[in-house]
Amino acid sequence: MRLAAEALSLGYGARTVVREVSVTISAGEMVAIIGPNGSGKSTLLRGLARLHRPSSGRVLLGENDIRSMAARDVARVLAILPQSPAAGVDLTVRELVWRGRYPHQGILQRATAPDFEAVNWALGAADVESLAERTLGSLSGGERQRAWIALALAQRPKVLLLDEPTSFLDIQHQVEVMHLLRRLNEDGMTVVLVLHDLLLAARFADRVLALREGQVAFDGPPLAVFEPRNLERLFNVPMMVLMDPETGCPVPLPRSVRRDIAAGAAP
Amino acid sequence: MATTLPRLARPTPPARPLIAAGCGFALLAVVGYLSLSQGAVGLSPGEVWSGLTSTSDSFARSVVWQIRYPRLVDAMIVGASLAVAGSLLQGVTRNPLGDPTILGMTAAAGLASAIALVISPQINQWALTMSCVAGGLFGAAVLFVIAWRGTVSPVRLALSGVALSAFFGAAIVGLLSSSRTFLQTSLGFLAGGLYAAEWDRMHAALPYAVPAFVAAVLLAGRLNVLALGDEVAAGLGVLTDRTRLLVLVVAGILTAVAVSIAGLVSFVGLICPHLARMTVGADNRYSIPIAGLYGAILVSGADVFARVVISPSEIPFGIVTAGIGAPFLLYLVKARG
Repeated sequence: MRLAAEALSLGYGARTVVREVSVTISAGEMVAIIGPNGSGKSTLLRGLARLHRPSSGRVLLGENDIRSMAARDVARVLAILPQSPAAGVDLTVRELVWRGRYPHQGILQRATAPDFEAVNWALGAADVESLAERTLGSLSGGERQRAWIALALAQRPKVLLLDEPTSFLDIQHQVEVMHLLRRLNEDGMTVVLVLHDLLLAARFADRVLALREGQVAFDGPPLAVFEPRNLERLFNVPMMVLMDPETGCPVPLPRSVRRDIAAGAAP
Repeated sequence: MATTLPRLARPTPPARPLIAAGCGFALLAVVGYLSLSQGAVGLSPGEVWSGLTSTSDSFARSVVWQIRYPRLVDAMIVGASLAVAGSLLQGVTRNPLGDPTILGMTAAAGLASAIALVISPQINQWALTMSCVAGGLFGAAVLFVIAWRGTVSPVRLALSGVALSAFFGAAIVGLLSSSRTFLQTSLGFLAGGLYAAEWDRMHAALPYAVPAFVAAVLLAGRLNVLALGDEVAAGLGVLTDRTRLLVLVVAGILTAVAVSIAGLVSFVGLICPHLARMTVGADNRYSIPIAGLYGAILVSGADVFARVVISPSEIPFGIVTAGIGAPFLLYLVKARG
């Protein structure tokens, strides 16, 4: 399902954080939103999910203005996982994932066969079946993140938005989460994620959307966006981009290093 | 565990709420019988039965039907209201100390009824209940402002509740002690008692209690989602601020119902939701009704105890619930760190 922002501006009070962003995300794309701190990545993501009222412009989900849709109807096709969701939720993974069925369930309605199916599929897809009876507090960071992703998957979304799903995870768990998202994407889900880690964006996204001061600075496949000049403009530090000899993926790197090494390397 | 059906992904085995409900109703029946038979005059099972069902034994009829039965029903409504209000407050504030008394709601409703009593000593029960509800809603509004967007820390919420309770409580005592005529009844009011329980209190409270109970059950699913945090809840299609307001309004009404019948009763709204979650799990769709059942048992049981402990006289049952609740609060503080 297509998700599009049309001249979308978002802000907090008088402060505008996202300025007239127009971007169309086609069905089945996997898009990474990158940019420096405060560039409006998370705000844009929240705006796309109907969690932030636009100060101007609009968001289209399919053919409909997302504001004209009921929150519940949006939640049936679009799921958003905020950055590090609430701590202190004392549920088992299964209980957590069941709550993802909320937008599909009527008041007082008993669980239906599609509910069971969706929960089982979500547990399996996020690879948390074996953890289903464990409480969230007893899980490692990577396991907990997969459990929250399973919650979003239980909504059976066509579009999945995630805000820094890999932060606070070690490399193994980062890669696991990214593979999981890639797998979902290959099965047809549109995935949009805010990423701080440029390396992961370069390796797993089809398309990189780079934000700077609330506007789209660069938009394109990783190879096109991850040019040293682009990255320097984006982050205000000298950057270089190597080529991963195995995969051909760009490997963006800051040029700054320890002073003694920099001095030693100088001719 | 349900190992025979491994593919069946149920949130809570529904057996547990059923067992809890079954045991709860059995216990409530026992407590109900004790409530009808025990007191200043002990009655036999036969006398209780004839008092409930016929007018042939006029003494049993008057004791059971006129005095003890309304008192039992009042006790159950008070207990269930406070327990459900406590469940709602614990859910909406994401705070294990969510309780109508701790958060100042009980005192707000109590102050409103004390003001009404001082302004118009002959006020009828309907108007008194109405002013109680107004007070409860005021307490809800104050909490809504404090807990706006749910970003307030549990400690701050509890502290502001303590401040509100102390302020309203002092105002109540001041009002009641300035008008001597109420001193007789005000002990029961301040400590939570059912001295003069009659049908009229219940009749005046039911138009508020019944819709509030229904609303509480209907809000349970949304409260489940709200427990996951505002951002996640909004992503799941819950309008968080509206839900918070609705839940606080319902909790305020239920608290007012309890206060209008039994005065200031503490800890019922704290203990019962915790006991319900311990027995049936964190799903509010089960734990809220079960908490209500436990509340009915707790208050009617406490009232029986309060009547027999220094029989033929009696103590306010709120002393009994406080006696159970205070150690429970300490246990929570210790167990939860």
